[in-house]
Amino acid sequence: MKSLVKKLANTDLGILIRNSINFKPVYYKHHENKFPGSVSDAFLWRTDNGYRTKFKFSDILNLFYKIDDSWVEFHFYSKTNKLIKIEKKNNLLLSNEFEINSKYLDNLEDYGTFYIFHYSKNKTKITNEDIISNRCYLGYSQNNNLYTFVHGNTFAKFSNINSKSEVLTNIVKTSFLKNQTYTIQKYFEGFDKNELFFSNPTNKLIKFSIDRRNYKLKPNNTLKLETASPIVSINSNCMFFRPIIFSYKGKYMDVHHA
Amino acid sequence: MNFFYGINNNFLKSEIQIPTFQNRNFKKTNVKLFKSYPENGKWVLQEVYKNKINDYFYILKNEDILNNEIFFLADDNIYDKFNNKKLENFNSFTDTSPAFRANLKIYLKQGGFSSYQSEYPYKMITKKGSIVSPIASIANSNAEKNYVFIKNIFQEPIEDIFRVYLVNYKTKKIEEQFEIKTNYTNCIEINNKHIKPEIFLVTEKYLGIPMYVSIKNNFLSFEHTHPPHEYILSENKFLKITDIKKEINEIIS
Repeated sequence: MKSLVKKLANTDLGILIRNSINFKPVYYKHHENKFPGSVSDAFLWRTDNGYRTKFKFSDILNLFYKIDDSWVEFHFYSKTNKLIKIEKKNNLLLSNEFEINSKYLDNLEDYGTFYIFHYSKNKTKITNEDIISNRCYLGYSQNNNLYTFVHGNTFAKFSNINSKSEVLTNIVKTSFLKNQTYTIQKYFEGFDKNELFFSNPTNKLIKFSIDRRNYKLKPNNTLKLETASPIVSINSNCMFFRPIIFSYKGKYMDVHHA
Repeated sequence: MNFFYGINNNFLKSEIQIPTFQNRNFKKTNVKLFKSYPENGKWVLQEVYKNKINDYFYILKNEDILNNEIFFLADDNIYDKFNNKKLENFNSFTDTSPAFRANLKIYLKQGGFSSYQSEYPYKMITKKGSIVSPIASIANSNAEKNYVFIKNIFQEPIEDIFRVYLVNYKTKKIEEQFEIKTNYTNCIEINNKHIKPEIFLVTEKYLGIPMYVSIKNNFLSFEHTHPPHEYILSENKFLKITDIKKEINEIIS
């Protein structure tokens, strides 16, 4: 009986109920070892307002598993979760980088989210027990100035390293209610402007509020907001919902995760 | 428990914003800010009185920060708990998920600034070991200057010298080495010729947090690298990391 209750409590519905009543809430849950997993954050790309984005990533399968013929795929989405392109990269170095500018995205000057997945045909050096996550580093340059870097921030999607099957999501869990509050531990006073970029890491609707305004963020969508509050609290139905922050003063810009 | 720290040197200034609230529980609290530093083989404890700017934040300006100082939140019981021979896990106020963080900002007098949400977890101060950090992950070969700041906090009040190496993982050779010290925010300059995929920064004996700074035309970039165990989520992560550390330690030994 006890094990049945435990099983039910760990189903998607069980977790949703636990999170809604704040009883042993579950913030994250990774897949359960049915295949070797490659987990990606939801990475923000920007080509709006003179921005370019640089992405730096490691060849994890080479570094940790000695697999030297793996490849990665990038899946680029618009802010409304429309697939823009999928790009495959072979011949990886231990550290790799590439630039995302408007030309790369068919002259799109906007923002959105992309994901990285590692793939390999090797089934001996990697097993169903293995899960890797490339947290990577994103550089943002406005008006051709120095790239300023920030690391990945939110687990979002995962795929099977050995097979290009379906890409799955919902690592981050949600609640029925907007009962999660996260207050950013930064004092926002003294800046000319502060932008907050939210990516929905789930395929559920996220409802949230900031500065007494309510927002809805559709599955895997991205949203830019500005705030003038010195202290920013986010109320939401997502168990792990943290924005990327851009703060401006004069001609200078800072970016970091919350 | 988390500790906080800053940077003080002749070309960069820093500022630390330390919140007195938990990120999932925003309310006024009675915690106070203390600082500690090693002196004559003992930890000195001092309360930071002046820098509380409102009910929710302490802000430490550049003139309030030294490289051998660490900051932490506690209540008045700290005077009974404090051990001047060893830093301890004084309280659980900063044990939160997501991690309790302070905003650590660097800036230039010309106006450029960059920050990240920083913390130094207690579990790191009790261990010796080595860090492995890929140089090309954040360092910028187009910048005028690249630096790595390495903060070490060790539980004993010692100022021990230890080495940092730039190791070429392909050729298995040491490209350059530096000496830094414990309980200090150290600075090393990275020559652009070392910003290559196969170059890793490796410490011997002690852990630390490597923070990368790039400067160009008075613009700044400031971010830390992830420890290797963040790349592997499965339970065998420490086996995998032990393997790679062993491989790299063979190069520096």
